[in-house]
Amino acid sequence: MNSPAGAPEGAGAQARGPVSLAVEDLVAGYGEVLALDKVTITADAATITAVLGANGAGKTTLLRAISGMVRPRGGRVVLDGTDRTGRGPEDMARAGIAHVPEGQGVIAELTVEENLRIGMMSWPGLGGRRAERAAALADAYERFGVLADRRRRLAATLSGGERQMLVIARALMARPRVLLLDEPSLGLAPRVMTQVMDMVVRLSRESGITIVLVEQNARAALAIADRGVVLNLGRVVAAAEAPALAADVALRHHYLGF
Amino acid sequence: MVEFLQFTLSGISFGMIYAAIALSLVLIWRGTRLLNFAQGGMAMFTTYIALEVIRHTGSYWAGFAVALAAGVVLGAVAELAVIRPTLGKPELNAVIITIGLLILLEGLAGIMYGGQFRSFPAAFSVTGLKAGSTPLGISRADVFVAVAVLAAALLLAVGFRYTSAGLRMRAAAFNATVARLSGIRVARVITVGWALAGLLGALAGVLVSPSTFLYPNSMDSVFVLGFTAAVIGGLDSPAGAVVGGLLLGLALSYAGGYLGSQGSDLTALVTLGILVVVLMFRPDGIFAGARVRRV
Repeated sequence: MNSPAGAPEGAGAQARGPVSLAVEDLVAGYGEVLALDKVTITADAATITAVLGANGAGKTTLLRAISGMVRPRGGRVVLDGTDRTGRGPEDMARAGIAHVPEGQGVIAELTVEENLRIGMMSWPGLGGRRAERAAALADAYERFGVLADRRRRLAATLSGGERQMLVIARALMARPRVLLLDEPSLGLAPRVMTQVMDMVVRLSRESGITIVLVEQNARAALAIADRGVVLNLGRVVAAAEAPALAADVALRHHYLGF
Repeated sequence: MVEFLQFTLSGISFGMIYAAIALSLVLIWRGTRLLNFAQGGMAMFTTYIALEVIRHTGSYWAGFAVALAAGVVLGAVAELAVIRPTLGKPELNAVIITIGLLILLEGLAGIMYGGQFRSFPAAFSVTGLKAGSTPLGISRADVFVAVAVLAAALLLAVGFRYTSAGLRMRAAAFNATVARLSGIRVARVITVGWALAGLLGALAGVLVSPSTFLYPNSMDSVFVLGFTAAVIGGLDSPAGAVVGGLLLGLALSYAGGYLGSQGSDLTALVTLGILVVVLMFRPDGIFAGARVRRV
């Protein structure tokens, strides 16, 4: 069984089984500005939830509040039935949440392999045995062949698509149970974007990772998502099964622009 | 020619001390974008501790070891006690606090040990070495200075490059957000950075004090030169710190040697001159990395 998460049998998310993520009445903001106003979202285990909306709708803040980068002012973040509200990103990462931020997710000054090794820093204990880590790296290289050829190169030398692959590969090194993806297709060529979307589907279906996907490209996101949530000015304006959202012409025109 | 050799060797020896201070500044700068003005004061204080230990035990090496350990503790405690609370506040707050820490340490040393100049022992003989009958201008103690700092710098470089802890430190320095999202406890990494900086500073203090004497302000000028070395090398680069230190040590040694008695009075001027010239051509320092991430 070759899992996309690169996890050997008996370790990581697969062994613990898929988990659900729930956000209840979440309030968060920057200074005076309220970016999230009582947002409630439920992502069932091993599903893909697309979070859609215009710029400034609060999509990125939602992911940042879930992963602990932004401290919520109210509401709860519940992972697998456990309240994790207010924890820092280090703890959230260790609890199994991997957040792939938009854009500058690679550490350009480090090599490809060093970036991948950082993905294993959240492993419990002292980071696992040497052999286990080597196996995880080998798995990642098998899955992302383009990274294997460049493992000793600085991440700065990678193309945009390769960087996005590296960021996702690093997130998977952590063996996450929940993956938060912020605009993974941004700036990618259409063919590469299709690859990324295919991979997201496989991570959910085959590895049982619960995925929250923030996308500008609503059409592409709804095509692979199980559920969709539409944010507008920090509030949830629609939440439904993905096909239902895609079929709602008025909603599409009004909020999603297609 | 013999003179040139002598000036070069003694320049290397002094340069390595500046390099040690520069390296300690770089360690903290990389982790927190903060210049620790108390670095020299911390080094002065740990050297007093070393002197006390040497006096009581009679062993130079006991004092040496205790000074390094005290440097580690002082660095970590300083970060946890006075720098951590400034997190998230304007950067200038932390800078002012390091200046306050410097004044506190120098005042404390004055109260505890008095203001008089004290001699500090060297690890090895300070009589000049000779190659045949030619004096080399350096002593065993000078060789030890260069070797000790070089060893510390190499250990750091290897640790940064090849260990998991080193990778954590580099990741935290280059991109704290990604590091935290990956589960790295960046706050802890920063404390370790301060502890290592404290250790390097303590090393510099113990190594330089045999030639400068020890008094509450004795590290001030060494700090200024170390800071200059760090800026010359590029504040972000450990390798640059070592090269900057050597460059400065050599330049000052040549100036002092060839310009005779005026030479040593020209220290500040020569330092300024080098700084101006380097920054004219390389505003971010010689070893400044390409700006790949600030786009």
